[in-house]
Amino acid sequence: MGRVIVVTSGKGGVGKTTSTANLGTALALLGKTVVVVDADVGLRNLDIVMGLESRIVYTSMDVIDKQCELVKALVRDRRVDGLTLLAASQKNNKNDVQPAQMKAICDKLRSTHDFVLVDSPAGIERGFSNASAGADEAVVVTTPDVSAIRDADRIIGLLQHARIDPINLVLNRFSPELVGNGSMMDQADVVDILNINLIGIVPEDTGIITSTNRGIPLVYEESSEGAQAYMRIARRLTGQQIPIPDFAQKGLFTSILNWFTRKS
Amino acid sequence: MANSTVALRAYRDGLHLIIKPHLSIIEIEKAIQEAMSRMNRPLNGTSIQIDLKSPALREEEMAYLRSKLKEAYDVTVRDFLVVSEEPVPPPIAAAPTTHIITQAVNPPDSRESEPSRIVPYTIRSGQTEDFPQGSLIIYGDVNSGAEVRAGGDIVILGALRGSAHAGMNGRLSSVIIAMDLVPLQLQISNCLNRIPIGKESRGYPEIARIGKEDVIIVERFVKF
Repeated sequence: MGRVIVVTSGKGGVGKTTSTANLGTALALLGKTVVVVDADVGLRNLDIVMGLESRIVYTSMDVIDKQCELVKALVRDRRVDGLTLLAASQKNNKNDVQPAQMKAICDKLRSTHDFVLVDSPAGIERGFSNASAGADEAVVVTTPDVSAIRDADRIIGLLQHARIDPINLVLNRFSPELVGNGSMMDQADVVDILNINLIGIVPEDTGIITSTNRGIPLVYEESSEGAQAYMRIARRLTGQQIPIPDFAQKGLFTSILNWFTRKS
Repeated sequence: MANSTVALRAYRDGLHLIIKPHLSIIEIEKAIQEAMSRMNRPLNGTSIQIDLKSPALREEEMAYLRSKLKEAYDVTVRDFLVVSEEPVPPPIAAAPTTHIITQAVNPPDSRESEPSRIVPYTIRSGQTEDFPQGSLIIYGDVNSGAEVRAGGDIVILGALRGSAHAGMNGRLSSVIIAMDLVPLQLQISNCLNRIPIGKESRGYPEIARIGKEDVIIVERFVKF
């Protein structure tokens, strides 16, 4: 039986879709069978980030409406073995799907795949409840800014209420320089507030923009820091113990300064 | 408070005397007298604004009140203002403090007989924890966007980053204690206090309570 993991955040624009695409690809590169499911009905994006938009024939809506078999709706990613996409309908909206229907799809997919990654839409409404309906685990994506963290906190509360466990945290768009000069929260602060397991930190990487526009997930760009971060997170998801590298490049001067200000 | 005929409140622009509508001048005078007697210090030499709800008092009644206040309490009336029948804004002064002058109800100070509830988890954004019957003890944090309210005290064995309202039934001696007190808003009884933006974590537990001048004060928590 495969694992159904919902990728969510509360706030929009923190990197849910990018993380889903990259983690899905990374898990497939590790030899797992993976299906990435776009749950953002009406505002789908995962197909673009994966570069599969031109090959979608059927969507999850067609499966729910019994227009086609579930297997037929899965779009195979030709770049790597074992990776498929289930796209969302762009014509419908989130209220056209019931949580129970999403759960049924996830349950079917988990019997044939190692990992089912569900890309949740932003918000806490129907789209979120659809996306999390079939999930037994969650990956919460946040950026180190207060509004994203408050929304992540809200989402974690809802996930805990739905008894989704474990809930892992991905800290995205982390900038060591900004942390170094004290204008960004560091990972310890974020973990202190959210109080869940940190599964990885993805450093700010401008390569993400090109990779999204070209429809080639960043993980194929092996030399990039972002790619390596996503590969490490994928390995941790499979149960490997890999320490989180210390991105913060605090100079000696700031370290001493911090030490003094903390004491005072 | 809501039932009293007159109320003295402190706003950003100074003291306001709020008078309920449909009262005779004798009733108003009597209520003012009572309100003044409840004050813990005299208002000598201060100026107030009188807020009337429509229908307004007659000219001669206003003049009478003005002279009476000056004569009996040495209080100058700055202005009469007739406001429409909307709810009075909550008493929020500029950060960091708010004064509440009158306290019509005097709830019993009964910490001993109060029940308490233990919350064994962190309260996250969007979640609330209400316990009007007594005190709340939280084994965790109260995160930004979360709210806790208790009839009695609130003790947080973690960080308070959201909002807390102790003494929601009016008990003025209620306190809020947190290991790390960095809230968005603190309220004790009907005294509201916005912590200055950017208050840093002190690294030691702090206690918030109502001090001498009906202002919430926050200080290092040493012992109860």
